[in-house]
Amino acid sequence: MAENAQNQLKERLDPYMAIIAPLAMILMIAAFMGIAEPTRYFRLSNLNIILLEAALYMPMAMAMTFVITQRGIDLSIGSVAALTSIIMAFLIKQYGFPDWAAVSIAICLGGLLGLINGLIITKFRVPDLIGTLAMDLVYRGLALVLAKGLVLARFPDLITDIGRGRLEWFLPIPVTIGILAFIVGFVLLKRTHFGRYSIAIGSSPEAAELTGIAVDRYKLHAYILMGTMAALAGVMLAGKLNAVQATSAPYFNLHVIAAVVVGGTSLFGGRASLLGSFAGVLLLSMMINALVTLRIEFFWQSVGSGVVIITSVALFTWLQKKDRDGGGGLFAAFATPENIKIVKLSGGLLALLIALLALGHFLSGAPVASG
Amino acid sequence: MAAREPIISMRGVSKRFGGVTALQDVDLDAYPGEVLAIVGDNGAGKSTLIKILTGVYRATGGTIEMDGEILSMNSHSEAIARGIDAVYQTLALADHLDPASNMFLGSELTKSFLGFPLLDNKRMREESERVLFDRLGVRLPNMDAPTESLSGGQRQAVAIARAVYHSDLRVLVMDEPTAALGPQETARTLKLIEVLREQGLAIVLISHSLDDVFAVSDRIQVMRRGRCVGIVKTAESSTQEVLGLIVGVTEDA
Repeated sequence: MAENAQNQLKERLDPYMAIIAPLAMILMIAAFMGIAEPTRYFRLSNLNIILLEAALYMPMAMAMTFVITQRGIDLSIGSVAALTSIIMAFLIKQYGFPDWAAVSIAICLGGLLGLINGLIITKFRVPDLIGTLAMDLVYRGLALVLAKGLVLARFPDLITDIGRGRLEWFLPIPVTIGILAFIVGFVLLKRTHFGRYSIAIGSSPEAAELTGIAVDRYKLHAYILMGTMAALAGVMLAGKLNAVQATSAPYFNLHVIAAVVVGGTSLFGGRASLLGSFAGVLLLSMMINALVTLRIEFFWQSVGSGVVIITSVALFTWLQKKDRDGGGGLFAAFATPENIKIVKLSGGLLALLIALLALGHFLSGAPVASG
Repeated sequence: MAAREPIISMRGVSKRFGGVTALQDVDLDAYPGEVLAIVGDNGAGKSTLIKILTGVYRATGGTIEMDGEILSMNSHSEAIARGIDAVYQTLALADHLDPASNMFLGSELTKSFLGFPLLDNKRMREESERVLFDRLGVRLPNMDAPTESLSGGQRQAVAIARAVYHSDLRVLVMDEPTAALGPQETARTLKLIEVLREQGLAIVLISHSLDDVFAVSDRIQVMRRGRCVGIVKTAESSTQEVLGLIVGVTEDA
């Protein structure tokens, strides 16, 4: 009886699971910062910084949600953003293009680079992970070839407005763009063939093929959307910093994938959560900002992001596993013969490490200055 | 029943894959309101035969006639347009989508919004509820839940509903519909097949389970090594006879 009620509750909660997890983490961060640094963290100007940071990733997180839902991945988005914004900067600075033309060209070019990614994956049958990783090197290399070590700075108002402007009595322009992107994404997901087929392709590629869906074409669409949004983010970043260089946006790919995965979109395909991606973007920005506010060294950000990704993916996997085999408690699941062997192996490895440390310590001489 | 004209008649159909002959000189007749079971060992040519019937493969030789007119189909979608569809063993369902989305997968209903075609989810949902209930007598407990949460029989119903939604469907091929089902679900699926037969469809049923075949079919066509080795009326035959035809003892002994 109690189990039945629990199942019913679970069934009712299930569609919202994706949003509950990142929301819980957001609340945890908010609560923690509320105790640790309430005045500096919740200052209006700081909230503005968090939103601006999040806005940059919103269009990309929207597009990445579709790519991942189709069981794909795109690791090249940082380089796409860098290459397209470098070209935009050159068009303005060196060739005197009008600002609106340069921005539109950059965004179209992003679509083209996404198309190339998609063609490599669908036509040459290169696995998406390898294909986009290689293209990441290619696009980054081209950006470096074009810009050398130059930093191109001081752009027309249009671009700085896109990056950090503010609508009168309303949200900052980049936040508006980000939210608009998610609204468009929502319509795409719920109301178009592209969205419906993205889920079908990720859920069961065989079923998609058998029902006559042009699987390759819809994959191309997703990568084109991804490239376009990456280029848009490139323009936004250029405007935000009012500067562009070939090495900008190095961690776009991991940050965006993290946000999407934290939001409950399944890496195994078929499960899309745009609302979750939105919350995921906010969560990562809040976390990074919290680390900065706490004056924790910059390099810990990387550690933090990694921990958040692992925690949430493991949590989602665990939740799904439980409803498949009914669950038998954490300890019952842990005490299998196989796991005991793994514990022994890890224990042995740790013992070896400790023994080596001890040996080194006993045989150590006076410290030698390096260099 | 013999007085009626067949919807489909395949004559002298052969299929070779390179040097391998998968089908040789096979005939098949499907009548409206009749369940034709095709049985045979693995590799007997059942799947090849129905793939030719549903337009997935093209025959190397022989003809397919529909209402006395010769058909030449180049793809599965042409077969669907002619009123021939199949429910696959894997059901071809996307587990994360709801039943209505699955029913209309690949042929969604749309409405125009400022010239853009947008999916008409409300109408698709109403239509699938209607088709499931009116044609199959099935009412799903929850139309919003993903298809993966449905039982095997309910999933089968969704896959069949997808095929019968086309009102001009006349021939339905079912490939091992009961292979993955428990006894209760099997009974329910056989019931669905009977319901569809009452509606005048010609049903071609591929199955390994002779129990199911005898429970629901009108005629049984036995395949062995790419040839048709016998067609029997279910009512006048026995499991023993059909088994003998499948393994070939009655001839060889």
